[in-house]
Amino acid sequence: MPIEFKKNRALFRDEVSVEEAEALLEWLQTRPTAKVDLSACSHLHTANLQVLMTAKAGVSNWPKNAELRSWLEPALKSGE
Amino acid sequence: MRRILIVDDAATVRMYHRGILESAGYLVEEAWNGIEALEKALEAPFDLYIVDINMPKLDGYGFLRELRQQQIAQQPAVMVSTEAAAGDERMAYQSGANSYLVKPVVQSQLLSHVRLLLGEANQ
Amino acid sequence: MSPVPPNPLLEQFISESRDLLEASGKKLMQLEDAPDDQVILNELFRCVHTLKGNSGLFTFPEMTRVLHAGEDLLGMVRSGQAIYSRELADRLLDAMDYVGLLCGEIEATDGIDASRALESQHLADALRKLMPNLIPNQDAAAVRDGDSPVVANAQTSPADNPSADLKQFAAIPAVARKSALERCRQGDQLHWISYRPQRECFFHGDDPLNSARQTPGLIWGRILAPGPLPPLSELDTYSCLLGFDLLTNAPREELDQYYRYLPDQVEIIAVPAQWLEKGHGDADGASKALSRAIPSGSFSEDDEAAFNWILAAQRQILLLDDRPAWHAGRLKAIAEVLANLSQAVGETSTRSDIQTALAEALSTGHNTLLLAWLDAWIVTRKTIQPVAGLSWARGTDGIMAAAKTDSNLDVGSATAGDPSKAPADEGVRFGRRAEDSLTGTRSLKVDQTKIDRLMNLIGELVVEKNALPYLAQRAEVQFGSRELSREIKGQYSVINRIADEMQDAIMQVRMMAVSFVFQRFPRLVRDTSRKLGKEVQLVLEGEQTEADKNIIESLADPLIHIVRNSLDHGLESPEVRLAAGKPATGKLTIRAAQEADRVVIEIVDDGKGIDPAVIKQKAYEKGIIDEATLERISDQEAINLIFAAGLSTAAVISDLSGRGVGMDVVRSAVEKINGTVVIESELGKGTSIRISLPLSMAVTQVMVIESDGQLFGVPMDHVIETVRVTRDSIHAIKQTKTAVLRGRIVPLKSLNTLLGIAAIPRLNSDDELAVLLVQAGNAELGLIVDGFQETMGVIQKPFSGFLTGLSAYSGSALMGDGSVLMILNIREIV
Repeated sequence: MPIEFKKNRALFRDEVSVEEAEALLEWLQTRPTAKVDLSACSHLHTANLQVLMTAKAGVSNWPKNAELRSWLEPALKSGE
Repeated sequence: MRRILIVDDAATVRMYHRGILESAGYLVEEAWNGIEALEKALEAPFDLYIVDINMPKLDGYGFLRELRQQQIAQQPAVMVSTEAAAGDERMAYQSGANSYLVKPVVQSQLLSHVRLLLGEANQ
Repeated sequence: MSPVPPNPLLEQFISESRDLLEASGKKLMQLEDAPDDQVILNELFRCVHTLKGNSGLFTFPEMTRVLHAGEDLLGMVRSGQAIYSRELADRLLDAMDYVGLLCGEIEATDGIDASRALESQHLADALRKLMPNLIPNQDAAAVRDGDSPVVANAQTSPADNPSADLKQFAAIPAVARKSALERCRQGDQLHWISYRPQRECFFHGDDPLNSARQTPGLIWGRILAPGPLPPLSELDTYSCLLGFDLLTNAPREELDQYYRYLPDQVEIIAVPAQWLEKGHGDADGASKALSRAIPSGSFSEDDEAAFNWILAAQRQILLLDDRPAWHAGRLKAIAEVLANLSQAVGETSTRSDIQTALAEALSTGHNTLLLAWLDAWIVTRKTIQPVAGLSWARGTDGIMAAAKTDSNLDVGSATAGDPSKAPADEGVRFGRRAEDSLTGTRSLKVDQTKIDRLMNLIGELVVEKNALPYLAQRAEVQFGSRELSREIKGQYSVINRIADEMQDAIMQVRMMAVSFVFQRFPRLVRDTSRKLGKEVQLVLEGEQTEADKNIIESLADPLIHIVRNSLDHGLESPEVRLAAGKPATGKLTIRAAQEADRVVIEIVDDGKGIDPAVIKQKAYEKGIIDEATLERISDQEAINLIFAAGLSTAAVISDLSGRGVGMDVVRSAVEKINGTVVIESELGKGTSIRISLPLSMAVTQVMVIESDGQLFGVPMDHVIETVRVTRDSIHAIKQTKTAVLRGRIVPLKSLNTLLGIAAIPRLNSDDELAVLLVQAGNAELGLIVDGFQETMGVIQKPFSGFLTGLSAYSGSALMGDGSVLMILNIREIV
């Protein structure tokens, strides 16, 4: 599973595809305080990204991939 | 003295441009819409035209097209707009402008432009 | 506080702003009746556009912000993206009012108080809320700039987005910027890519983030939401809402190749190194390298920018493949510009090359040679590679933006300190020119006091010339010189004619159209009726009717009062109207017309009318009429009681027509300027109020009458006729003397009695009394006097000082022989 949903935290792993976006959206809709852990993520499809941005989801861990992190950090931090 | 025509329906903008240009020693005339500008230009062509876009009766594009269509010497024209919009700029060039500036045009920028378009060497 | 030196440009700005605000208000009103009228809409847009443009010359961000929002909103209405609505009009009117307020503040204090920022933001937000798919001004940077397009419309196509705005370069962090400049120095061409994926791109298998990440030569990139993001509950996962800005050093061909499947979703712009530096503020190697590439002479930074830019623009024009009718002229202008540019850098020999290339382009219809010449020249000049013109225009914007925020650039320093100063204040004189007025409307704005002075002088002349006939008389009677007397009379008639014409001419200058007063009514009626929940159609007629300025000005308050009364008490609510079988929308007509030497203004409504019974009862209750009067008073007389002091007919006094201020105030205001007011009303049908005013109040025609050896003037407005009445035709009814005049019984009063003069009226040799039939309000009255003299035009002066208490007189006038003529105030004495 590219996204592992825990109680109040979602763990992203490797490449997260467009198919995951709907589930992510539903999950976040019911958990306004949920955080995402992106440390193990190497890429996420734009659809997932815009769900995170719209939800202003908090990020508990940034990607280890520095290049990806440099993209995501400004976009997701501004939502906080 | 080089003659410059300011074409703008806003009196404040005309006054502003006139102030800058006259302080640099140019002879300035004003027109407040495209029709008036065209009449003046056909009477005695100017060395340079500074043209606003949005004006009553005949807008800046229309004025330039008419001007460029006349069988007279073709002098440089600068279009000034309040928007940095790509569409407006393309339209300005298409209509016969030689340059496109965004208002408010600061003094040094306007004068650089005018001097170069008039072929004046910088002292 | 030291006086602020007058700034003509600022004065011009305020004055033009006022005109534009007035015009905007008018257009908004007109749009209300014709929301689809594109002509009016365009004019309105232009007014707001010009206002905004003008405000940008100064540092008035509070004003610019509101106007910018207004302009954007109107732009969307114009293009059909937003719908004109009452709310929209309300918000725009609020915004215009606010800008008017700011104008006043600027005029008084030369600046805008910082505390205004919040209000201005609220107003701008309110306007932006009306834009579809747009969010209130979110971008803090844009707020600071005051005039930047704040948000892009998510629905417009990517190509229309001002995505490559140079201001965005400011977002590039220093590290990336440095690295980019480094590569630039090594000879790489930088490109800015604005990538705005289609909404449905996910369905095509696109992953824009992935595409962005894999962009060749990527130096820096960012994710952004060009439009507003919806609430989470409304998010459509499969509709792409994000966009990307990228900076790369890959060659153009490689980028074109990479994005070949998305040509309509990306915009690729070559970025000269200097644009990156502008935002950066410090000059380093790349900028020096650039200036080395620039032609000879002591080019300033602005010159460099302008030179490159103009060059690129000419290239872009040459690349246009349209061939409009003005194509030849356009080419000639380019050739002229190129020749001038080369002359500016000291290469005069190129002119003939350009002429050859031009001739070829004109004859073959191909610009190849001109383009080739231009490109070759660019190469030899080692200028930076010109690109599609887009970035150049944006470039200016970038320069401007950088200059505005970066005060160590000289271009911005003038604006930074003193908000009242124009950007180019130093060393530049902004003189007001005679041509200004000529090039604008062909009219001259003259200070009112100058006209007043002319008026006073002509008044004196008219009076002084009246001394000449007396002089002629003295010449003949006292000095026995008939010839001199005749000559004086001759001269008098000449001076008299000139004075008359002059007076007439000055009067013409003072004439003003009633539209000056009428123009406030659309707004007044609109706001008031809305507040009252009524539907009212306002019809204005004869707005061009003219009258003396003083008359027009003193007309404003009474008219406003009447209109408010009509809206408040006259016109009914839509439900009541429908129940009464009338259309839901009431009609209020304000009509002006000239009738002989008077201006007549009628205010007609089709409301519920005035109930005479209610008035009678009220008047009786308030002790305005006694029981006997209550019995015999006619309906018309009852309605006239509405002008009596202290009568208010509405059951509830609303805040609109003013507490405790009735129509009596209207009457006295009208009468003060020698006007009359008449009311007619039919219960259930409506009310009509008719105000008649002199065209001019400067000269009053009076009839001179004599009583007990004294002369008095009676304004001709009140004089109906002069008659002689034999003593035996005077009858006493009760205590009142009456006579039958023109078939009617008219009460007679002795002027002596009215003025408290003891003498009895003199009879002439035929045993007749001189009776001046006058109109006093709605009543006719015969004034018994001793004799009539001529009528004459006099300049009436109101009393000043303790004399103002003499209500029997409306003023005095100087006669030709230097004596003073007292002008009777007929209404007061009867």
